[in-house]
Amino acid sequence: MSACNEATMGQGQSERVPVIECRGVTKVYPGAGKGRNTPVCALDDVSLRVAGGTIIGLIGPNGAGKTTFLSLVAGLIFPTRGSVRVCGHPARSLEARRSLGYIPESPVFLARYTARGILKHHAALHGLSRRAITDQADRLLAQLRMEEYADRAVGGFSLGMRQRLALGVALIDSPRLLLLDEPSNGLDPIGVIELRRILTEVRQSGATIIISSHRLGELERLTSDYVFLHQGRIVQFGGAEAAGRMERLQIEFLPGGPSVEEQTLAPYRALERSETKLAVAVGGVQDIPDVVNSLVKAGIRITGVALERPDVERTFVRLYEERAS
Amino acid sequence: MKAYALMVETFSRKGSVRFVHLCWLGIYAALFLIPMPPETWHWGQFLFAWSGCLLPLLLSEGIIGDDIASGRIRLIVTEPIRPVELYVYRLLGLSLQGAVHFLAVGVLVLLLHRLTGRGSVSHFAGFVLASWLIFNAWAALSTSLSVVLKRSNNSMLLFIVTVAVCFLLSLSIHFFPKSVGVNVVLPIVRYTCPPVELLANTALGKLDLLEGLGSVALSLLLVVLYGAAGVVLLGKREFKYVAD
Repeated sequence: MSACNEATMGQGQSERVPVIECRGVTKVYPGAGKGRNTPVCALDDVSLRVAGGTIIGLIGPNGAGKTTFLSLVAGLIFPTRGSVRVCGHPARSLEARRSLGYIPESPVFLARYTARGILKHHAALHGLSRRAITDQADRLLAQLRMEEYADRAVGGFSLGMRQRLALGVALIDSPRLLLLDEPSNGLDPIGVIELRRILTEVRQSGATIIISSHRLGELERLTSDYVFLHQGRIVQFGGAEAAGRMERLQIEFLPGGPSVEEQTLAPYRALERSETKLAVAVGGVQDIPDVVNSLVKAGIRITGVALERPDVERTFVRLYEERAS
Repeated sequence: MKAYALMVETFSRKGSVRFVHLCWLGIYAALFLIPMPPETWHWGQFLFAWSGCLLPLLLSEGIIGDDIASGRIRLIVTEPIRPVELYVYRLLGLSLQGAVHFLAVGVLVLLLHRLTGRGSVSHFAGFVLASWLIFNAWAALSTSLSVVLKRSNNSMLLFIVTVAVCFLLSLSIHFFPKSVGVNVVLPIVRYTCPPVELLANTALGKLDLLEGLGSVALSLLLVVLYGAAGVVLLGKREFKYVAD
C-alpha cells in the first residue's frame, strides 16, 4: 500500500496550471469548550495536484478529513500550514471562487424563495446581467429537470430536492471545478441516476469534479480515480486498480490434500483459507500460473480458480482495516 | 444586480421581517388609543427609542448572523463575492428598510396626532432623522458582532450590555460627578458607542448647528467603523461544517 501523503490526479497531469494544488496542507482545529481542549489535526501535511477534466472520489472513514479538505479548497476555512490554490489562484480569492461550484453536505436555502428565485439570486451574486441571470436559471431548471418545481417555495422541498437545487447553484456560470460533499444524500434512486447523468455531462464539458461520498457503489459508476484519506493523510490514491493494487485470486480445491503453507505460496500472501478454499493476494492475471503451479506442485488438487478485480468498496475496507490494525 | 439582489434579500428573506415592521407600526397605532396629554408623551423620543434603538437589534440578525447560524453562509461565501460587498449591500438594504419604516411611521404618527391630538410631536422631524441615524449605528454594531457571536446572543448581549452601561454610568454620574473614572469613561462611551445622547440632543435642538452636524457626522463615521470591523471579521472568519 502506498503510504505517501501526496498525489497527482487526473488525465492531463502535465497541465501547467492544475485545477487544485495543495502543498503540505495541515489543518488543526483548536479545541474549544468543555471536554474539547485537545486540538484536532484534521489534515496532516497533504499534497495533492489535480488536473482538469476528471472526476475524483474522495473516500475515507468518518473523521478522515474529507469535509475539511473540501472546505479548504472551497475557501471556507484556512490551512494551519501549507497552501491551497484553485486554478492557479489562492483559495478564497475572488478568482478561485469564480472557478468553483460547491455543494455542502446539507445545503440550506432561504425557505421563502422559490427554486427559480434561488437560482436567480445566486446567479446575481456571480455578477451576471439580468438577461444572463434569467437564461442561467431557465437552463439549469431544465438541466436538473426541475421545471415542475421551479416556482414552489424551497421551504417545502425534501433534502433530495434541495440537493438537486444545490447542484444547480453550484453549476451557475459553468465552473471549472465542482466540489460535492455527499451530493446523493436524500436522493431517491431516480435522483441518483439524474445526478450521475448531470455529473457525466459536466465532466464532458471539461470540468473537474471532486466528490466526497460514502456511497462507494455510486462513486464507482462515476469514476475510477480515488483519493483515500485516513486520519488526515492520503493513504492511497489513483485508479481503483492502482488503489486496490493486489487483486484477489479465489482458489477452490478438493479436501483431504496437504495443508497450504505460507512458503508454498511465497511470495504471494494468503488472505483467507479454509478446508476447500483459499484467497490469495496477487498483482494481476499474470500471477495466476505461478500461484497455480506452486499449489499443484505442493499436491493441492485445484477444482476452480477465479480472479476478483478490486472494487472500491473492497479496497476501502482493506485500506481501512490495514490502517486500523 | 449583485447589489440589488443582496439589498432586496434583507427584506424578502423571511416573513418575520414584514411581521416585525407591522408589529412596530401597530404599536404606534395602539398607543394612540390611550388618552394622553401632550406634555406626557413625546412621539419623537418614543420613535427614537422604539424604532431607532430596538428595531435594528431584531432586524440585524438577518444580515449575517442568520446565515452563519443556519450554515447557508457556506453557499454564499463560495460565490464570487467579496466580504465587503456582502456586508455593505446587506447593511444598505437594512438601512433602506429603516428609511421606509421611519417615513411610514412619520406619516402614521402625524396623521393620527392630527386626528386625535394625543401626545406631542415637537421636534418630530429631527427625531425621524436621528432615529434613522441611530438605527444604522445599532444595525452595523449588531451585525458586526453577529460575525463572531452566536446569533441568539448578539442582539440580546448588546441590549443587556447597553442597559447595564447606561445604568452604571447614570449611577456614577449621580454619585461621583467629578471623579476621574467618570470623566475618562464618559467621553469614551459617548464617542465610540452609538451616539444616542448626542443625536437625541441634536433632535431636541440643544446643540448648535456645528455640534449637530458633528453628531450626524460621528454617527455616520461610527457606522463605517463598525462596518469595517465587521468586514474584516467576516474576511477572517472560518465557516466550518458544524453550524453555530
